[in-house]
Amino acid sequence: MDFEDYEIDSAFYDEMFQPDGNPRDHCRTLYDSLLRLPVEELVRMQERVTHSFSSEGITFTVYGGDEANERIMPVDCLPRLITAGEWRQLEAGLTQRLKALNLFLADIYGSARIVEDGVIPVDMVHGCPQYRVEMRGINVPHGTYVAVCGTDLVRTNEGFHVLEDNLRVPSGVSYMVANRKAVKANLRRLYRSCRVQEVEHYGRLLREILKELAPREDPDPCVVLLTPGVYNSAFYEHIYLAEEIGATLVEGRDLLVNGGYVYMRTTSGLRKVDVIYRRVDDDFLDPLVFRPDSLLGLPGLMGVYRAGNVTLANAPGTGVADDKSVYAYVPDMIRYYLGEEPLLMNVKTYICRREEDLEYTLDNLEDLIVKRVGESGGYGMLVGPRSTSAVRDAYIREILENPADFIAQPVLDLSRAPCMIEGRAAARHVDLRPFVLHGRETRIVPGAFCRVALREGSLVVNSSQGGGGKDIWVLGD
Amino acid sequence: MLSRSAQGLYWMGRYLERAAHLCRLMQLQVETLVDRPLREIHFGWNRVYRSMNQAPPAGTLEAFRSDDYTLADSYTLADHLTFEPTNPDSIWNCFVYARENARQVRNYISAEMWLSLNTAYLHLQKLNIQEIWKTTPESFYAGTSVEINTFAGVTDATMYRDEGWHFIQLGRYIERVQLSAAVMLAQIADHGRQDESFDADWANLLHAFHAFDAYVHTYSVVVQPGQVLDLLVTDGLLPASIRRSVDSAAEVLRAIGHGPAPNSSREALGLGDTLCKCVTARRNDVAVWQPVLDRVHADSKKLHHLVIDAYIDYPLEILPAH
Repeated sequence: MDFEDYEIDSAFYDEMFQPDGNPRDHCRTLYDSLLRLPVEELVRMQERVTHSFSSEGITFTVYGGDEANERIMPVDCLPRLITAGEWRQLEAGLTQRLKALNLFLADIYGSARIVEDGVIPVDMVHGCPQYRVEMRGINVPHGTYVAVCGTDLVRTNEGFHVLEDNLRVPSGVSYMVANRKAVKANLRRLYRSCRVQEVEHYGRLLREILKELAPREDPDPCVVLLTPGVYNSAFYEHIYLAEEIGATLVEGRDLLVNGGYVYMRTTSGLRKVDVIYRRVDDDFLDPLVFRPDSLLGLPGLMGVYRAGNVTLANAPGTGVADDKSVYAYVPDMIRYYLGEEPLLMNVKTYICRREEDLEYTLDNLEDLIVKRVGESGGYGMLVGPRSTSAVRDAYIREILENPADFIAQPVLDLSRAPCMIEGRAAARHVDLRPFVLHGRETRIVPGAFCRVALREGSLVVNSSQGGGGKDIWVLGD
Repeated sequence: MLSRSAQGLYWMGRYLERAAHLCRLMQLQVETLVDRPLREIHFGWNRVYRSMNQAPPAGTLEAFRSDDYTLADSYTLADHLTFEPTNPDSIWNCFVYARENARQVRNYISAEMWLSLNTAYLHLQKLNIQEIWKTTPESFYAGTSVEINTFAGVTDATMYRDEGWHFIQLGRYIERVQLSAAVMLAQIADHGRQDESFDADWANLLHAFHAFDAYVHTYSVVVQPGQVLDLLVTDGLLPASIRRSVDSAAEVLRAIGHGPAPNSSREALGLGDTLCKCVTARRNDVAVWQPVLDRVHADSKKLHHLVIDAYIDYPLEILPAH
C-alpha cells in the first residue's frame, strides 16, 4: 500500500506522519510493513476483521424510532501507535485526575469543604441533576466512588487534552479488547516486532478491584454485573465483562432484598450478593429512591447500600463529577485536593451560566461546539462551523432560555490517523478512551478504545453517529 | 447458576429442537410437492401444523383442487412456517429466540457454540422464501438441519458438563418428546383413511425420524403402522425415539438434583420415571398407542411446568439463602 494520496494537514496532528510527510520514528516499522503489503491484502484484512466482528456478534444497539437495531461495531484494521513515554505521561495524568475526582466526591457528599472554600459554586454542585442527596454521609469502601473511569482524550498540535470524564457507567472497553484481538490476528509478525503492551488482562484487574471493594474482607465475595438487559446499547460489553471477571450477569428482576441483604435467585436457592458492578444508570437503580417507574433496578437496593451490606461500583451520584460544567473545575480540584498542577490539560470551556462566558458563546457560536450539560453520546450538540444560521438561531433561543444547561468549547483540531477507507489510506479524526480502575489503588491497562470519525471531515467519533473503532498499540520501551 | 440463565439455556435447547423438527418435516413436505398426489400433500401440511399445535393461515388448505392451487398454497404455507416473523414457531423465529437466549448466556456456553449459532443465524438472515423457492427448497431445509446438528455437535464437543449443559439437554429432550408425540398423534388422527398414499404417509413419518433404514432392519420393507409406532416410540437404539428422549430427560433431571422447591423437583423426577415406563413396551397397535401418546404429550407439558417451578420460578417463601 502506498500513501501517495494520503493527505497531511499541518492544522491537525497526524498520529503516523510528521508534517513533512515522513513517518514518525515510532511508526517507522508499521509504515515500512504497510508499504510492503499489497493494498488488496489490506482490503481482505479489513474484510476479515469486519467479518470476525459480525460472526462473533460484537455489536452495539442504535435506537431510531420505535426500534432498537443491533449493529456491528465498525473497526478499522490499521493500528494507531503511542510511545511508551507518551503513555507514561497519560497514565500519570489519569491517575492524578481520578484521585482528585474521588476526593471531590467524598468531599461533596461529606463536609463539602471545596464548596465552603468557594473553589466551586455551591449551586453548580447541588443544582446538578446528578447530585444525589441520598449519598450524603455514606462511607464507601476505600473512598472509592469511581471504580471504573473512561476518560475521553484528544490530541491536538498542543498535546493531549481531556475532553470528558466518564464516571457513571463508561463503556467501550470490550471493543478495546476485541479490536486488539482482531487486529493482532491479522498483523501477527508486525505486532510481535512492535513489542506492543498487552491489554487482555483488563478483566483480571477489574475483578481484583471489585473484590477489594467488597463490603467485608472476603477472599471470594459474590460479584455480579447488573445490566439493564439485552436492549441496552452496550449489552455485548456486559456479556463480555461478566465472563472476563467471572461475575454473574444479572438484571434487576434476578435480585431481591431480604433481611438487609441483596440476593440473587439461582437454581439452588438464593445467594447473597456482595458487589454489584452496575451498568444501570442511577435513575433506574432503585425505584423506591430514584425513578419510581424503573423496572431495571431493585427496590430497596439503596437501603442495603446505606447499611454497608453491598457495594455498588460505581457509586451512585458520581455523575456530578463528570457534569459538563463541573468538568471545567477539575484542574482546580487537582490543585485544591492534591496541591499539584494538573498533568493533563482541560479543553477551554465556556460555562454559559457565567455572564461573560454566555456573551462570548453567543458572539462566537459559529466557531464553537455547544453541548447540553445533561447529554452524552454526541447527542444534542451544535458544531458551530458546520451549522446553518437557522440552527444557530434555534440554539441561541434555547441557550437564552436556560443558560445553565449549556457549555461551549472551541472546535478542537482533533488529531488524525490513517484508516482503510474504500481500499486506500485516508486521514480520519480520532480520540481515545483509556480505562482507569481504582479499588485500593489505581490500575490502568496500557491501551484504550480509540474512536474514529469514519465520515470524511467529521469530528463526531460516537458509534451511534457514524463512528467506529481502531486498535491502539502502546509500544514497549 | 442464575435461574434466568438456566431458563435461557433451557429455551435455547427447546427452540433449536423445534427448528430441527420443522426442518425435517418441511424437507419431506417440499419433496412431496414434486410428484405426490394432492391428498398426500394436503395431509402433510396438516400434519406439520398439528404437530406445532397450530392452524394453517386462513384460506389455505381448503383449496387443494388443482396443482396450481396446491403449489401456490404450499408456497404460502412454507413461508409461514419458515420465515414468517409473526409466527412464533417459524424456523426463523426459533433461530431468533435461540440466538437471543444464547446471547444472554454467552458466559455459560463455549465461544465455539456462540460462533456456530450466530453464523447459522446470520446465514438465515440473508434468505427469504423467494430465494429458497427458486431452486431446491429441500436443500435449504437439509442445510439448516445440518447447521442445527453442527451446533449440537459443537455443544457436545466443547461445553463443560455442568448445570448449564443439563438445562440445554433438558430443553431439547422435553421439546422433542412433545413434538414427537404430537406428530405421531397427527398421523394417527388420519389413520382411518385407506388410499394409495396411505403407506407413503407412514414411510414419510419414518423418514422424519431418520428411522426408515432402522425399520427395514428391524421389521421389513412392508410398512405396518403399529410397528412404525413401536419403533419410533420404544426403540432404545434409535436416536430420535421418544424412549431415548424420555430416558435422557430423566437422567438429566437426576443429574440436576433437587432444586430449591423440593416438592416440584421431586414430582418432576417422579414424572420422568413414569414417562420412561410408559414408552418401553411395544404395542403394535395404533389404537392402543393413541391414549399412551396422548398421555406422553400431556405429561411432557406437565414436566416443563414442573421444571420451571422447581428451578426457575420457585416461590420465594422457601428462602434457603446461603
